[in-house]
Amino acid sequence: MKTKLTLAGLMLALACSLPFSTQAGGDGFNEAVKTIEQFYHVKHQSIPFLARAGMKAARTAAKVRGGDWKRLAEAGSVRMVFFEDQTFDSRGQIASFKASLQRVLSGEWSAITQTLAPKDEEQCHIFVRAAGNKFHVLVITIERHEATVVQATVAPDVLAQLLKDPEGMGKSITDEATTRDP
Amino acid sequence: MKILFQTLLKIVPVILLLLLGSVITATAQNAKLELDQLDALANRASETVDVKLDEHLIQITSKLFGKDPDEAEIRDLLKKLKGIYVKSFSFAKENEYSPAEIESVLAQLRTGGWSKIVGVTSKKEGENVDVYVMSVGDQVSGLAVVCLDPKEITIVNVVGPIDLDKLSELEGSFGVPDLDIARPKTKKDKEN
Repeated sequence: MKTKLTLAGLMLALACSLPFSTQAGGDGFNEAVKTIEQFYHVKHQSIPFLARAGMKAARTAAKVRGGDWKRLAEAGSVRMVFFEDQTFDSRGQIASFKASLQRVLSGEWSAITQTLAPKDEEQCHIFVRAAGNKFHVLVITIERHEATVVQATVAPDVLAQLLKDPEGMGKSITDEATTRDP
Repeated sequence: MKILFQTLLKIVPVILLLLLGSVITATAQNAKLELDQLDALANRASETVDVKLDEHLIQITSKLFGKDPDEAEIRDLLKKLKGIYVKSFSFAKENEYSPAEIESVLAQLRTGGWSKIVGVTSKKEGENVDVYVMSVGDQVSGLAVVCLDPKEITIVNVVGPIDLDKLSELEGSFGVPDLDIARPKTKKDKEN
């Protein structure tokens, strides 16, 4: 009986610890979402898997400035989170938010470009990290009443274009992940 | 004893070369300015742009340039660079920042091997532009452009061998803004 109880306790502890260990050893995406939630006191909305898959399948192309129409993110690689109809007010402390974001993503991720317009409560942060012979790009876009966090895997040539025109490409990656083709 | 002496003769030049290499590397690293202390200005600025491209990212980019002949020149330039860093703050009203707030950057440019290029001006009215280079012998190891306007601060720091003319090739790309710099006239220009 004692052994069974111990075993059950161990199983329960293991079951409880699994989600936490996944979060603790996070890969940056969840940490970025959590940082937004904590700083702005907002809550992200989950998108049902099927709806998300439908959106990704529908969106097939994005314009690379000066080039041909082509898909930016590798198929099936997009992770995203939306914040809709909420208030993003940095209370004059937008620099602290930028620093928090940099702190949670430091190490693996490198910030390429961060643009802030506090009076309009608009921000765009683009981070990148190596993923084998490809790259993960994390694009965080915040406006006064909505925000998007998108992580996508991109090929080196897409990264090169991103580095050449960080703002334009960051927007294209977010558009590709979130816009439905007509 | 003779063998030991011969071995030393072979090893010493290698050690000296290694030391020289590490000194050059250290100097190139010094051409990177500390700019993060300016971030507090972001709370007051109407717009802030912060671009950081380190050597690794630049090398990835340079490898993918060059298929187009027009881009070959940029590829060759990028190959040698170790970093491109840009910080820009725009303010809604004039004098929303004080000179003391950018002193930490200017202090770095007054020391540490930087020298100001004389005669560089801005084509934009009311804007002061100062261009600084860091050199190791004949080789430029870094460039810094400080543009100060009553409503704007822009600092561009390129680490690696680059001159003012080549900087113009980067303007509009890689987060480097259009600087509108009027270069100092060379002897050749004056003759024409």
